[in-house]
Amino acid sequence: MSVRGTRIPPHLRLPIAGVTPPPTEKEGQRLFPTGNFRFYRPVYRDKTPPCNNACPTGEQIQKYLDFVKHERFLDGYLTICEDNPMPSVTGRVCYHPCETACNRGEHDEPIGIRSVERFLGDYGLALPENPVAGGLPALGGTAVAIVGSGPAGLACAYHLRRRGYSSVIFEALEKPGGMLRAGIPHWHLPEEILDAEIAKLLSLGGIEIRCGVRAGEDVSWEDLRGYPAAFLALGQDVGRKLPVDGIGSRGVVGALEFLREAGLGRPVTVGRQVLVIGGGNTASDAARSAIRLGGGHATIVSLESEDELLIVPEDLEQARDEGVALTPNAALVRVLSSAGHVTGAVVCDAQLARDDAGTVVPRLVPGTEREVPCDTIMIAIGQIQQLAWLPSYLSDGGVITADEHGRVEGNVFVGGDVLRGPSMVVDALGDGKRAARDIDRLLTAQELTGEPDVEIMPYQGLNAAYFRHAPRTPIPLAPPEQRRASQKVEVTLAYSREQAIAESDRCMSCGVCNGCDNCYIVCPDVSVLRDARENGHYSIRTTYCKGCLVCVQECPTGCLEKVPELDFDDPAGVVRMETAFAPYDGAHAEQSAFTKRLIEETIAEYDAARASGNGRTAFMPNGDSGVTS
Amino acid sequence: MDKEARDVSSCIATAARALGLYADNVSDYVDDPDRTNCLVRRYARFGDSPIVDRFVYENPRPDWVVLVEETIIKAVDFLRGTPERSGVLVINSQRDPEYLLKFLPGEMKAKLAKFVVVDAVGLAEQRGGSPWMFVRNLSELAFDRMSTEGAEERLAIGLGIAAPLIGALVAATGVLPLDAVAGVVADRDAMMRGAAHHAVVEFAAVAQGAGKPETTQATAPAAAPHAAR
Repeated sequence: MSVRGTRIPPHLRLPIAGVTPPPTEKEGQRLFPTGNFRFYRPVYRDKTPPCNNACPTGEQIQKYLDFVKHERFLDGYLTICEDNPMPSVTGRVCYHPCETACNRGEHDEPIGIRSVERFLGDYGLALPENPVAGGLPALGGTAVAIVGSGPAGLACAYHLRRRGYSSVIFEALEKPGGMLRAGIPHWHLPEEILDAEIAKLLSLGGIEIRCGVRAGEDVSWEDLRGYPAAFLALGQDVGRKLPVDGIGSRGVVGALEFLREAGLGRPVTVGRQVLVIGGGNTASDAARSAIRLGGGHATIVSLESEDELLIVPEDLEQARDEGVALTPNAALVRVLSSAGHVTGAVVCDAQLARDDAGTVVPRLVPGTEREVPCDTIMIAIGQIQQLAWLPSYLSDGGVITADEHGRVEGNVFVGGDVLRGPSMVVDALGDGKRAARDIDRLLTAQELTGEPDVEIMPYQGLNAAYFRHAPRTPIPLAPPEQRRASQKVEVTLAYSREQAIAESDRCMSCGVCNGCDNCYIVCPDVSVLRDARENGHYSIRTTYCKGCLVCVQECPTGCLEKVPELDFDDPAGVVRMETAFAPYDGAHAEQSAFTKRLIEETIAEYDAARASGNGRTAFMPNGDSGVTS
Repeated sequence: MDKEARDVSSCIATAARALGLYADNVSDYVDDPDRTNCLVRRYARFGDSPIVDRFVYENPRPDWVVLVEETIIKAVDFLRGTPERSGVLVINSQRDPEYLLKFLPGEMKAKLAKFVVVDAVGLAEQRGGSPWMFVRNLSELAFDRMSTEGAEERLAIGLGIAAPLIGALVAATGVLPLDAVAGVVADRDAMMRGAAHHAVVEFAAVAQGAGKPETTQATAPAAAPHAAR
């Protein structure tokens, strides 16, 4: 059949199948608002990653690891500085509760968070200008007194400065830094790094450190109460004494006092046979410093068994590498001396035991006494603080008592070791941060509140299938023979730029959306929108999403949750679908109107042609057997 | 959810026919049930005059409406064609009736005489992890798919969530005797639980205007998509 001259009527020329746009197009999604029979709605709800929760300063670890991963080091550095004024310090000395809590530890190995922090901290120190200084508020008139320039005091001053307050720090020693300088050896935290961090802090302005001012002597409790607010961060720098015979001999020193002299650069003499009494990190630091300074041997004598030692495992391993010997489950009974100088010690087997109050009571085993030759004995069995200058009701056994907010009385707060006993640098930094916040609240007549409840993301909430196993980047260490030779050789070394990026890339971003696009990719209904974000997340086309929950199932980080649709009671969010139950009503009627009009026009044209007597109808092919009048 | 809806309308129609009424139960193919878990409707009609138009697939004027799943209250205008203050809406939900009523716009609320909330999931027999019919093993699911398309019904009628819904509907409407309907429902106990435990919000008659609805805890609600005519 010839089709020459065939005339297709206009309404049939339309691609009828295309009249109703498919739901993959925006118009189709408007026509079929299928979201109205969704039982569950996917909702982006960020949780707190366990690392962030474990950090006493509340560092947003996931956030800065994500920045490092994308090589946005400055953003990463500024993120740390929101919570922690000295990442270069904590990046070296922190006992990293974050890594202990890291969910990746259940997967393969925890992220080397501390090393990435150190990388960022050193990156920040190397910048020509302090990037934190730019965003600070102007200083108000209020100056807060801070006692102690250790980590707690410095952190408090820093966070007060961030809130627009100036501060005066009273430091008893001749240099600022507190235990960072007087307790932590240089091979752990180089002096230059500490000096640079403190200089960076002082460059913010509004922070004055008065060295050589001892609380209780040069500044009294009444003086402190005279300030609008005060923060007590004295630390605990007085070593506990061991009540045994001969303890007064020359050559018996407190480990803390030894570390302080060495840290401040004063001349110290150490024998070649050193006995360190104690089972904590101070004992380990003292023994390792003694090897470096004396060039001899050091032995740690501890009540604790090897498993009970309070030395962090990596430090213990490094100490062993450097030749520190351990004598666990032993106690010092007597110091032997000759002409007033130590010549040896008598030790015996012992067990660690505590009385009902938790005080250590050594349980000695009689008959096991033996002599150990030595020329130096260091005592590292705990520390306290002299607090006689305070009103007696404020102190209890070497610590200052406070309420749950760390408030002593009035506008005076306390934090760090002098509040909680010997603890981590990062605990002190966190106390300083909280004290600054609470001082700000008091000075602006707000209520003190506790920490808000947070939802911590468990490993089980992640979609572990998305994380391939990748080993932790080992932390570089200096060789033990170099370490033994000098106080100045740092033991742990820094990640390279590539290592820091690779390690950050292992972060599973627990419970926090990191924009991996997975929901966008897996959504079968084009309902995850990448270009229209809400709160930095993707948004869900709620009028069209049917609640199949594939995105929730496939979210690697677990930040997507399903929420029953009826929990959302915003009437504006209800889009009732007209089309399913009434194909000729609502939006469907609109889209079919054009076709309907075309048909009506064609019919009218046909009718008009018939009425006018024109024989040719529009519906017949030209030429062939057209109807004629 | 197709099975639950079908059971409700089927039981109402069967019971009405047993009582000597003219009754009909219709599967509504307009809703395109070949898609899974999409919105579907079933309706039954009964009355004392013969049914003249047999092949009416859509119900243009429902008197009683049962929502098998609560979220549908947000979905469509299921009261299209219902006269003012004459509709009975039964919804399967654990939520507070006042909260659920927030989702009904004024023009839909104006058509309601009674708003019935029954926790059918809680009142139904707890089979396995969930009383929902679609939570089941594959072979059972296959039979349901077949019956959706009109194949043989392999499961008893009036099971699971459908039973308390029927109980609440029959009790709240009061048109059919509860015992008569119970005779055709497989899970009679669950139906009676539904008849006994549900909340009813009564709306004032049209003449009294749109007063504040009055909530009562009644001894009976239930419903099925249904229109008597």
